[in-house]
Amino acid sequence: MSVFIIATISLIFFSFTFLQKKNVNIYLIGGSTMAAYSGDASPLTGWGMPFSMYFDSTVTVVNRAKSGASTRTFIEEGLWQPIERDLNPGDYVFIHFAHNDEEPTKKSYTPPGNFKANLVRFINETRAKGANPILLTPVGRRRFDDSGRIKETHGEYAALILAITAEYRVPCIDLNKKSQALYQSWGLTGSKFYFNYLAPGENPHFPQGNSDDTHFNELGARKIAELVLAEFLKLKPEMAERIYKPTE
Amino acid sequence: MHRFYLPKLANEIISAENHIMKYINLHVSKWILGLTPFLLSFTFLVKSHIHVYMIGDSTMASYTTETAPLSGWGMPFSFFFDSSVTVLNEAQSGRSTRTFIEEKFWQPISDNLKPGDYVLIQFGHNDEVPSKKSSTTPKDFQANLIRYISETRAKNAYPVLFTPVARRIFNDSGRIVETHGEYAALVRKVAAEYKVPLIDMDRKSQIFFQSLGPETSKLCFNYLAPGENPHYPGGNIDDTHFNELGARRVAEIALAEIINQKLELADRIYKPAE
Repeated sequence: MSVFIIATISLIFFSFTFLQKKNVNIYLIGGSTMAAYSGDASPLTGWGMPFSMYFDSTVTVVNRAKSGASTRTFIEEGLWQPIERDLNPGDYVFIHFAHNDEEPTKKSYTPPGNFKANLVRFINETRAKGANPILLTPVGRRRFDDSGRIKETHGEYAALILAITAEYRVPCIDLNKKSQALYQSWGLTGSKFYFNYLAPGENPHFPQGNSDDTHFNELGARKIAELVLAEFLKLKPEMAERIYKPTE
Repeated sequence: MHRFYLPKLANEIISAENHIMKYINLHVSKWILGLTPFLLSFTFLVKSHIHVYMIGDSTMASYTTETAPLSGWGMPFSFFFDSSVTVLNEAQSGRSTRTFIEEKFWQPISDNLKPGDYVLIQFGHNDEVPSKKSSTTPKDFQANLIRYISETRAKNAYPVLFTPVARRIFNDSGRIVETHGEYAALVRKVAAEYKVPLIDMDRKSQIFFQSLGPETSKLCFNYLAPGENPHYPGGNIDDTHFNELGARRVAEIALAEIINQKLELADRIYKPAE
């Protein structure tokens, strides 16, 4: 009889723990377009900043993206290892590189072979911990041709990411393509409202003004974050239940 | 945001003072009187730390990330100053000059004001609408503004009056519409009468929204398509409240006026490190 009671009680307890959603971390790794910035750098904004606001209390977005980082320097500077160490089953790693890998003139340059190898390392080590890698092609730059068509600015390295996606069956957000479509809809002039463009004397953080076709202001970062969220939910519909819901 | 660290120079001066004070305490207390003017001259080199209090309504207020991208212009404004300034955005959603006082938001500010502090005063949105519970008659509106000014000055702090920031209302021919006429005029009148610096945000922001036009100006307000943002699942249409971009542009307009009018506060604007 007492065994029966204990069994019933423990069953009740277990059913409660199953009802409770397990906490999930979403790690963001990448470069400056994703990174978090202090108020001193505002309105410079990485899309990881607004992205961290969209989930309920069962999800923690950990933005480890670093300005200037390529896949190679992210590992060399010891930024990847602590993430790998802390990963729990069910966590996510959003992998968003290329801006600093693809430029041969940059110190962070990573040749295609190494770029692929680094991505494969992120994927394998994430999976080894029972966590989920999500690959993202690099968010587009604001470059238009003379006829007002948006230009491809990450062609080679975006293709490398797509190749790995297929080979390793990793869910992928083709942010390069999707963001280009967005910029096209904003147009040549309209799209400036989303990048870190400032007139001289407009903002104390950029006294000489600023023209930047790579980095976002608050508005652009949020629009990209909204786009990434929509694409993420297409890939992982089960995460919809962890999206922030306003109280009535 | 709020920067509590001291500039390097100030740290060096403080540490120098500390060394000197230790030496005085241990060995040469009789020299104290002689050294005092020397030490005082150092303290004048350091900008005194001030607080900038912002009092007003929802267009100025701070919000949590759960209502993002809703932003009041006080949020980006707080990034614009050096470490000698702490911006305290005390603006409250839905409050008028009257309810800000009645609900005891003003009293603690008035009590805490120190010489050299600023109080940036911007009301109107919730005073001017007779159907709102917060409505305040023109007479009371002026009296409340005068109270803010007088109590600020009594503490040797500086009041600055702001007319209410414009709404995004355009007429059929694409001209921006004045929506704060009467109460903006009252703010200007009180500013002139009491010789308070006036930042005419109603006028300045109308010019800015006009330059953007009816369509593009939506980029500055809290407009969201249904399903675009989890904080507004049904979407949002708002011609009064700003998003991040609008709040920052309005804050930049306010700052430009602070510089134009050569308020002492302009000497404390953030300067990037070389």
